[in-house]
Amino acid sequence: MKTLIYQLFLFCLLFVSCEKGADYHSSPRENFEALWRIMDENYCFFEYKQVDWDEVYARYSPLVKDTMNQYELFDLLGDMLAEVKDGHTNLISSFDMSRYWAWYEDYPANFYKEIQDNYLGTDYKIAGGMKYKKVADNQIGYIYYGSFSSGIGEKNLNYIFTHFEACKGLIIDVRDNGGGALIYSDRIASRFLEEKILTGYTQYKKGNGHTDFTEPNPVYLSPSEYIRWMKPVAVLTNRHSYSATNDFVNVMRLLPQVTIIGDRTGGGSGLPFSSELPNGWSVRFSACPMLDVNKEHTEFGIDPDLKVSMTDEDIQKGVDTIIETAIEWLLSKADSTKTKSFL
Amino acid sequence: MRVVIGVVLLFLSIGLSLHAQSDEEKYRSINGSTSIGIGRYNLRDTYLSPSTDVNYTGWMIRVLNERMKVVKLADYNVSRQQYVNVEFGSTQNGAGTASEFAGFADYSLGYHYRFTSLLPGLKLLTGASTRLSGGFIYNTRNSNNPVSGKLDWDLNLSAMAIYNFRINKLPLTLRYQAEIPFMGILFSVHKGEPYYFLTQEGNDGVLQFSSFHNKFAMKNYFSLDIPISNFTLRIGYLNSIYRTDVNGIQTHILSNSFMIGWVKEFVTFGGKRLKNHARQFQSAYY
Repeated sequence: MKTLIYQLFLFCLLFVSCEKGADYHSSPRENFEALWRIMDENYCFFEYKQVDWDEVYARYSPLVKDTMNQYELFDLLGDMLAEVKDGHTNLISSFDMSRYWAWYEDYPANFYKEIQDNYLGTDYKIAGGMKYKKVADNQIGYIYYGSFSSGIGEKNLNYIFTHFEACKGLIIDVRDNGGGALIYSDRIASRFLEEKILTGYTQYKKGNGHTDFTEPNPVYLSPSEYIRWMKPVAVLTNRHSYSATNDFVNVMRLLPQVTIIGDRTGGGSGLPFSSELPNGWSVRFSACPMLDVNKEHTEFGIDPDLKVSMTDEDIQKGVDTIIETAIEWLLSKADSTKTKSFL
Repeated sequence: MRVVIGVVLLFLSIGLSLHAQSDEEKYRSINGSTSIGIGRYNLRDTYLSPSTDVNYTGWMIRVLNERMKVVKLADYNVSRQQYVNVEFGSTQNGAGTASEFAGFADYSLGYHYRFTSLLPGLKLLTGASTRLSGGFIYNTRNSNNPVSGKLDWDLNLSAMAIYNFRINKLPLTLRYQAEIPFMGILFSVHKGEPYYFLTQEGNDGVLQFSSFHNKFAMKNYFSLDIPISNFTLRIGYLNSIYRTDVNGIQTHILSNSFMIGWVKEFVTFGGKRLKNHARQFQSAYY
């Protein structure tokens, strides 16, 4: 009996699959090559940004030494990734995350929470990820949405719009909103539509070549079945309005009752994918371009309809120049409006 | 050459003219078993880790329910086999910096022509089966490519050998079954395509015809039935291979698991059949 079971066990071992793979390799050269290849085959903006990735290889390859420690290697690979100037592109290890954040760090902030507090006070309401309050003698509704990663439900939006029913206009402040889930972008934007509209196009890389993209696929957005807002709207932006926020602004700017006020958005129109290096570091990169209705990239941001920056004088006085401009703009536009409710 | 012709004939034998024959007098019992398997996964999916050959390995557990019964087809020379399998596993990459969880469920229905007179104690079964399976691999690290979903419908070639023998008067049953899908349909997004895009219009090519050009899968199942007191223990080993290269995405899901469970042989009957034979069984209800 024992012999039989032993023979059976040996026979079973014939089927145990040995799969060769990159289990773990810390070699600087191997990890450099892997990172370069991952980007080369999957990054989506080489052509648009006119980055010669082969030239980047030629420049960085001689800098890779077998004697490098992991920190030196990380810094070098992080510098190589920064060549594409992309906020969605990072190298992530257990001890650091490389990043390129110059798209907002090199520009005026145009948003100060301490000054925003002068408008929100402490008695604002919170629904989902949104803070909201009536401002300007209850004539204007003000919503601050700080992250598209903070969920917002249909009921949240219904209560907010109901709260602002008597207001003449609405401010949606998405300054310093670094993005999150696109589903919330669609959910909020659909509350301002009168009919189904084309909002842009999507593409993805079907091959490993830098220009191996699918044909642009049109993306449509339909009006919400719940309460919709047709009175004037101001969307406030700054350079830190990025990624899903950029997508939100890309849709909202198409609507007749909406005015984008503030600074240019930070961009970030490539949906990021992730992969990993043989040493276990993960890499994130823009993989799928999201184009606007003219099939143009918005990777480097979207200009506002009214470009407004916070003045030093207002900052000193604790006044938010962009909010003040929006209030003034909305009150001047307040006449020819209506609110439609469904459900 | 003779061997090849023999194998082909064995597989084709399922297509022999089938004749139903009334045999109500004889009860044809169901051999049913439920086993739990513990083993290891080896996963690779280039949708989750693009442009790499990184494997994720780790433990996996499965529950396998099997039912087999002789049916009327071909003068009671055909048996029907059903498998329900549910499995789950947790894996890590070689560096231990990222995790992938995988879970799959499948149901298969197969019919085998039975050759029972070849050698004493030996039954050879050949036939075909169909399997519907679905599942996922989830990478906890990823951004817009966190999940690779799998959905497959297959037609399989299937063969089985069952050998009854004794060791020291202990009756044992050894079985080996191999199953290979030869055609089917599977779901796969394209390389680099976020699942979010599936909610938009114009998604072509996510359902693909599968065969040996883009998919190789195989299951090898060994089991040994050992009667102990009033129940029968089943120990076994299940090797599962699944490889696909579809829409620019290469996947492999390999597992080896050691199985242990119990077997029961039972008869099901109801309705008129129950009424006709009610006296033979002492029902707690009827």
